Amino acid sequence: MSEKEQEIVVKIKRFSQDKGNYWQEYKVNVDRFTQMTEVLRRIKTEQDPSLSYRASCHMAVCGSCGMKINGEPRLACKTLALDIVKKYNSNVITLEPMDYFQPIKDLVVDLDDFYDRMFKVKPRLYPDKEVLEGKAEQRLKPEDQRELWKFEQCIWCGLCVSGCPSVRNDPEFLGPAAHAKGYRFLADPRDTIYEERLKILIDSSWRCTYCYQCFNVCPRDVEPVTTIKKTRAHTRFLKDRSAVAEIGEKHIEAIEESIKDSGMIKEAEVYLKTYGVIASLTDLIYAFQNGKLKYAFVKEMKVKNMDQIRKIMGD
Amino acid sequence: MDKTSYDAIVVGGGLAGLMAAHEIAVSGYKVAVISKVFPTRSHSSSAEGGIAAYIQGNSDPNDDPQYMTYDTVKGGDYLVDQDAAELLSMKSGEIVRIMESWGTLFNRQPDGRVAVRYFGGQTYPRTRFVGDKTGMALLHALFQRVSGLNIDFYNEWFALDLIRNDKKIVGLVAMEMKSMEPTFFKTKAVVMATGGMGMLYAHSTNAYINTGDGYGMALRAGAALKDPEFVQFHPTALYPSDILISEAARGEGAILKNNKGERFMTKYAPKKLDLAPRDIVSRSIITEVKEGRGFPGGYVGLDLTHLGEEYIKERLALAYEAALNFAGVDATKEPIPVRPAQHYYMGGIDVDITGTNYDLIGLFAAGEAACVSVHGANRLGSNSLLETLVFGRETGKTVVKFLSSANESSESLDKEAEKIVDEAYSFTKSESGVHFGVVLNKLRETMWENIGIFRDENGMKTGLSEIIKLREMAKNMYVTDKSKTYNTEFFNALELRNMLDLALVIANAAINRTESRGAHYRTDYPERDDKNWLKHTIAYLRGNTVEIGYKPVKITKWQPEARVY
Ligand SMILES: Cc1cc2nc3c(=O)[nH]c(=O)nc-3n(C[C@H](O)[C@H](O)[C@H](O)COP(=O)(O)OP(=O)(O)OC[C@H]3O[C@@H](n4cnc5c(N)ncnc54)[C@H](O)[C@@H]3O)c2cc1C
Ligand code: SF4
Ligand code: SF4
Ligand code: FES
Repeated sequence: MSEKEQEIVVKIKRFSQDKGNYWQEYKVNVDRFTQMTEVLRRIKTEQDPSLSYRASCHMAVCGSCGMKINGEPRLACKTLALDIVKKYNSNVITLEPMDYFQPIKDLVVDLDDFYDRMFKVKPRLYPDKEVLEGKAEQRLKPEDQRELWKFEQCIWCGLCVSGCPSVRNDPEFLGPAAHAKGYRFLADPRDTIYEERLKILIDSSWRCTYCYQCFNVCPRDVEPVTTIKKTRAHTRFLKDRSAVAEIGEKHIEAIEESIKDSGMIKEAEVYLKTYGVIASLTDLIYAFQNGKLKYAFVKEMKVKNMDQIRKIMGD
Repeated sequence: MDKTSYDAIVVGGGLAGLMAAHEIAVSGYKVAVISKVFPTRSHSSSAEGGIAAYIQGNSDPNDDPQYMTYDTVKGGDYLVDQDAAELLSMKSGEIVRIMESWGTLFNRQPDGRVAVRYFGGQTYPRTRFVGDKTGMALLHALFQRVSGLNIDFYNEWFALDLIRNDKKIVGLVAMEMKSMEPTFFKTKAVVMATGGMGMLYAHSTNAYINTGDGYGMALRAGAALKDPEFVQFHPTALYPSDILISEAARGEGAILKNNKGERFMTKYAPKKLDLAPRDIVSRSIITEVKEGRGFPGGYVGLDLTHLGEEYIKERLALAYEAALNFAGVDATKEPIPVRPAQHYYMGGIDVDITGTNYDLIGLFAAGEAACVSVHGANRLGSNSLLETLVFGRETGKTVVKFLSSANESSESLDKEAEKIVDEAYSFTKSESGVHFGVVLNKLRETMWENIGIFRDENGMKTGLSEIIKLREMAKNMYVTDKSKTYNTEFFNALELRNMLDLALVIANAAINRTESRGAHYRTDYPERDDKNWLKHTIAYLRGNTVEIGYKPVKITKWQPEARVY
């Protein structure tokens, strides 16, 4: 076990009401075990106590330490300093607050908007009255537990929302984390307010652009976009459909057509058919800015397994 | 200063605080929860292994709450209050049922009922779990549940101090971190559920926010701490981040090795080897390191490699992933770097099984902040999550009863509130001098070196005089940041004040107890001494001095016997 220390330069984008935005540099010696939260802790206790950031558990379960590290949305505690040095082949590491949320102080951002989104989906189980009163027992199949637990593991870090282009574009969109949470209860066989949940979630679920940014950044592998896909599959159970849901139906038709025609999902083509030229262009610009356009191309491959595609489409 | 009023205030948004707040809110009383972090960021989220529970009809047919109580009493080296342990066992099944009904996704048996696994110190398997993230699952389910109730949440608000009128709690002062504005919260009852204090030690598995604020506030208001000398250390924390590597690893056959590649536990515990009790293994590791057989930085290796890649990834997924993510070590190829670290605080605000403190009327405590005394001198794994919920609920119910006859103080204590804020600022008023980090780092080293795993009179006295010096030094602390929003430097300084007050009490109580019991191990008094020391320490902080008294241990059925496993 080698203990070689190496100096890194940490450039932090700071912010305060008095001083506005400015960059500050620190030098820290780290070894291969050093987490970025530890780097921050050392800066604060040994060099510059005025630096503000959030961190609590240092083990990727509390969701406090979301920030941008060399431009990537990440948890600081789940990031080893020398891994970043290796990845970018430079000993300079930049830290910035998460995008989208208002900065409050240095790396601390205002998460009220994020919490509002989470609470909108009624994030709690509404079990049978008998169960609540302790008169009946509820059981859960192990396979249901496994499926739901995947989506329940959201630690409310906000990283996915900070990177989601639709959240920025569309005030009606609940955002990836809220959808993951909403679906977790929508799909829970013990829950009693299915209809109400559906009303909250369906319209919004058609506002996601499937850019997969949330899928990429989530430190707990929650896969919010998967829950959105799964929620969309419930559209047919809703009685009064909104305009967006109608568009959604069109989207499915367009995909089906595309597959029938070519055996491929031509995402871009489907997109145009569904949303029209103008809307697609704005989304493309966002996708570009986020470096996410590559996903549009990745998906344009020959379909090998039609069953899988049907599954994704929610059949 | 802004003023607001509640029937009850709960300080702390972890499992204990939220459960207490739930009980108070459903009874129709006006309650607020104050937490310095958003509730799901509380330390409760880090708990891994599980929550112990005897569930009628869903436990081993031979098991019984009596056995559970016995295991707890013995595990705690007989310093446990046995009425408290009985209550804990009796209510364990019900609390798991409640959490299940509120949506906690417990792992299941094939028939859909809550599953169970075995944990150290249990006669029968009793631990209920959600993968390896039981704390997170419970905390989220509970927070989500109470977020639908009529409770006011003051998240990212820092509680400074309690306000009392003679012997009666009348409120507290807290400050919104974002605006740095203080508010006087008038109230009839305060529940302290502020969690533990791991940051007092240079090495701890605890969250960065565990700075013992509740103990500090209670002490300054004149309430006693019970058994403050009992601090639990866990032998295998990942180097250098101190993330917990569960005992399960050694259970599955992992071996501790020094820098010579020797299996050193053969020397210290020839029979139990690597599976000897937590305190013995911790002491052995420290000895190896002190005698030069550790690795640079001060750790030893936890070797899994002989178990084979497949087995490791299947049975020890968490240890494998933690080592990979947080230390960059592939445990299938090289040993995991580990060292002991502070893990849990058995001591706490002196309360009985109803959560009531008898020094101050209207003061209650629950969770790790409290010492009901279910853990005695040494806590058993998976009993703490259980305690937070069972006693969080009991305490909430007690507060409801208390409120039915309590009336609000008519006296105006605005001056008191002002004084608290002034004191907080005066503490950091200097224009130059040391900043909190300097004092903090010294304090953590001192506690680790002198009042840690091994203790003796000389070492502890050296530690105590250092703590006294640091407390003096901190009076002239200098806050460099003048910012009026989210000034964490200011809050870190206040946390340090709490830590220094607590450190003083721990050091005095530890020097005072001239025996070894559970986690309190003295090289100069290596034996347990029931004749003189089968009693609780009760410690008050009066300015710069610590006053120590005693309380008998409540014994219902189980007479002390030697603690051999
Ligand atoms: C790594 C690890 C693993 C563990 N695993 C297990 C396990 O498997 N099973 C088990 O039973 N136990 C386990 N424990 C122990 C258990 O997790 C804790 O004892 C328990 O969660 C404490 O809960 P609590 O509600 O008392 O406090 P916490 O969850 O720590 O909450 C404290 C609250 O107080 C608030 N607070 C503190 N100070 C202030 C202030 N000044 N102003 C405002 N708010 C304040 C905080 O914001 C927080 O909300 C583990 C502990 C660790 C360290
Ligand atoms: S896939 Fe949808 S929810 Fe996820 S980031 Fe993209 S637009 Fe947002
Ligand atoms: S879904 Fe993932 S990225 Fe989004 S808030 Fe939850 S944990 Fe964070
Ligand atoms: S500090 Fe808790 S997630 Fe990083």
